[in-house]
Amino acid sequence: MTSFHAARPYWLAAIVIGMGGVCIWGASFLPGASRYAGIGPGAFAMIVGVGLVLLGGILAIQILRGATFEAQATESADTDRPVNHKALALALIAAAVPIVTIQALGLPLTAMISFTLVARAFGSRTLWLDLGVGLVLGSLSWLLFNALGLQLGDFLPFIGG
Amino acid sequence: MDSFQQLIYGFGVALQPMNLLWALVGSVLGTAIGVLPGIGPALTIALLLPVTISIAPTAAFIMFAGVLYGAMYGGSTTSILINTPGEAGSMMTALEGNKMARDGRGAPALATAAIGSFVAGTIATIALTFVAPSVAELAFILRPADYFALTVLSFCSVAVVMGASRVRGFISLFIGLALGTVGIDQMTGQPRLTFGVADLLDGVELTVVLVALFAVGEILFVASRYDRSQEKPLKVGGRWFTREDFCRSWKPWLRGTVIGFPIGTLPAGGSEIPTMLSYTLERKLAKKPEEFGHGAIEGVAGPEAANNAAAAGILVPLLTLGLPTSATAAILLAAFQNYGLQPGPNLFNSNPELVWGLIASLYIGNAMLLVLNLPLVGIWVKLLSIPKPQLYAGILIFALIGIWGVSGSVVDLMLMVAIGLMGYVMRVYDFPIAPVLIGLILGQMAENQLRVALASRQGSPWVLLETPTSVVLLLIAAGTFLVPMLLRRLRAAA
Repeated sequence: MTSFHAARPYWLAAIVIGMGGVCIWGASFLPGASRYAGIGPGAFAMIVGVGLVLLGGILAIQILRGATFEAQATESADTDRPVNHKALALALIAAAVPIVTIQALGLPLTAMISFTLVARAFGSRTLWLDLGVGLVLGSLSWLLFNALGLQLGDFLPFIGG
Repeated sequence: MDSFQQLIYGFGVALQPMNLLWALVGSVLGTAIGVLPGIGPALTIALLLPVTISIAPTAAFIMFAGVLYGAMYGGSTTSILINTPGEAGSMMTALEGNKMARDGRGAPALATAAIGSFVAGTIATIALTFVAPSVAELAFILRPADYFALTVLSFCSVAVVMGASRVRGFISLFIGLALGTVGIDQMTGQPRLTFGVADLLDGVELTVVLVALFAVGEILFVASRYDRSQEKPLKVGGRWFTREDFCRSWKPWLRGTVIGFPIGTLPAGGSEIPTMLSYTLERKLAKKPEEFGHGAIEGVAGPEAANNAAAAGILVPLLTLGLPTSATAAILLAAFQNYGLQPGPNLFNSNPELVWGLIASLYIGNAMLLVLNLPLVGIWVKLLSIPKPQLYAGILIFALIGIWGVSGSVVDLMLMVAIGLMGYVMRVYDFPIAPVLIGLILGQMAENQLRVALASRQGSPWVLLETPTSVVLLLIAAGTFLVPMLLRRLRAAA
C-alpha cells in the first residue's frame, strides 16, 4: 500500500488547489473592479487563485494517469538512497529554532544551537566542537554585520546587553 | 555621448582604488562560492544584500558583478575536478572536463575553461556595451501594454523551459505570483492577502523566498539524502595547455560566445540551453567526434564560453528593461530596488556612474578572475576539504542573518521555515525553483503595467492588443507552449 501512496502523491495537487483557494478567498474581500482601471486590487489575486486551482486539477489528473516524479540531482545528495527522516526532522528543527530563541537568547546563542543541530543532522558527532564553532561563527557575524549597520538585536538580550 | 566615451567614463569609475577592491572581494567570494556546494551566485548575492545598507550602490554592484562571474569560474573548477556541476550551466563541462582530468589532462581542461570564460566574458561584455544603450532607447517606445506582453512572454518561457514538466513549471510560477500579491496594493493602498498580519503589509520579501528556497530547501534535501562518500578532487597534473589544445579551443570559444550571448538576452534564455546547444554543435563539427564522451577539449571550451556569454546576456534585459530572466537577475533587481533604483532606460541617464561603472567592472573582473583562477586553482580546491556537516550548518547561519538582519521580523523567520519546507518538497517532486522567484518579482510589474494600460482606455481589454509589439510578443508567448504541444501531436501522428 505504501508504494501506491508514494507513486500517487495526490496531496501535492491538494496543496496547490488549497493555495489557490486561499488566494480566491482573500481576493473575495477586495473590490475586483475599479472606476478607471477596469480591474481593481482583487482581480489579479483572483486570476492567480483560479490559475492555481486549475493547475492543481491538471496535476491531479497527471498523477491519476501515473505521472512520475524524480527528485532533482544535487551535490552531496544521493537521490537513490532511502530518505533519512531523522536527519530531515533535525534540520527542520534547526531552521525553526530561531523563531522561538532569536528574541530571547539573541543571535550568537541561536546560531550556536542551529549550527549544532544541522551538523548533527549531517552525522557530525563532535558535539562540543560544533557548539564552539557555532558560537564563534554567530558572534563574529554579529560583530561584523552590526558594524555594517544591520539591526541584529542585542548580543545577549536576556542580560540586557 | 556615445557608448565608447561612456565606457571610458565607466573605467574611470571602476578603476578607483576602492572600487577595484570591491571587484576583487566579489571575484574572490564568487570563486569560493562557486567551488563550494550548496550555494550559487543568486543565493550569495541574496546573502550579501544586507551590506547594501552601508555600501554605496556603485561599489555594491561592482562587487555583485564579481560574484556573478566568479561563481561560474569556481563552478567549472569543481565540475572538472570532482564531477559535481553546481549549476545547470556547468553540466556539459563536467561531462567532458572530468573525463579529461581522469586521463591526467586536468590542467588543459581547467585552462580551456578559464581562458574560454575570459574570452567569452570579454566579447559578451563588449556586445553588452554597445547593445544595451540601443535597447534602452528602444525601451522608451514601449507602452504599458507592451511591457505587460513582455512579462507574459517571460512567464510562459520561464515556466515552459525550466524543469521537466510544463504543469509543474506553471505551478511554480503561479506560487510566485501568489506570493507577489501579498501586501499593500501599490495602486489603491489596500492590504491584500495579509489576513490581518501586520508584518505582511510590506509584502513577502524576495530575499526571504530566495534564501528559504535555495538555502533552507537545499539543506533539508541534502540532509535527508546525504551521501557521505567524499569524492577526492583529482590532481591537476599532466602536461600544460599546449599549442594543439589552443588550436582546438579557440573556435569553440568564439562559437560558444555567439550562441550564449543572444540566448542569454532572451526571456528565460538562461545558461542551460546555450551550453547544451554549444556542446551539440561542437560534437557535430568535431574532426574526431568519437572523442566526445571520453574527454574532448572542444566539449569543455564551447559550453564554458557559452555559459559566460549567457551570463553577460542576462544583464541586457535587466539593465535596459528592468526585466529579470533568471534567479540571479531577479536578486540583482531586488538589490537595485533596495537602493530605490529602477533598472530601465532611465537608469542610463540618471545613474551613468552606476551603469557604466558596472559594465567597466565586468571587463576588469574578468581579467582579475583569469589571474585568480589559472595559477591559484590549487588553493580553491582546498575549500572542498571543509567538512560537509559544518559547511551546511554555516550556510543556515548565514541564511538566518540574511533574513533576520534585514527585517528583524519573526514572521519572516516563520516564512523561511514554511517556504524552506516547500523548497524541499519541490526538490523531491521536481518542481523548478526559478519560476517562483520570477513570478514573485515580475508579477507586480505585470499587474501594474496591466492596470496602467487598462486605466488609459477606461478598462477596455483591447488596449492589450493595440500596438504591434504587444500583439507579436503575446503571439510568441502563446507559441512557447503551443508549439511543443503541436510538435508532439505531429510526431505521434507520423
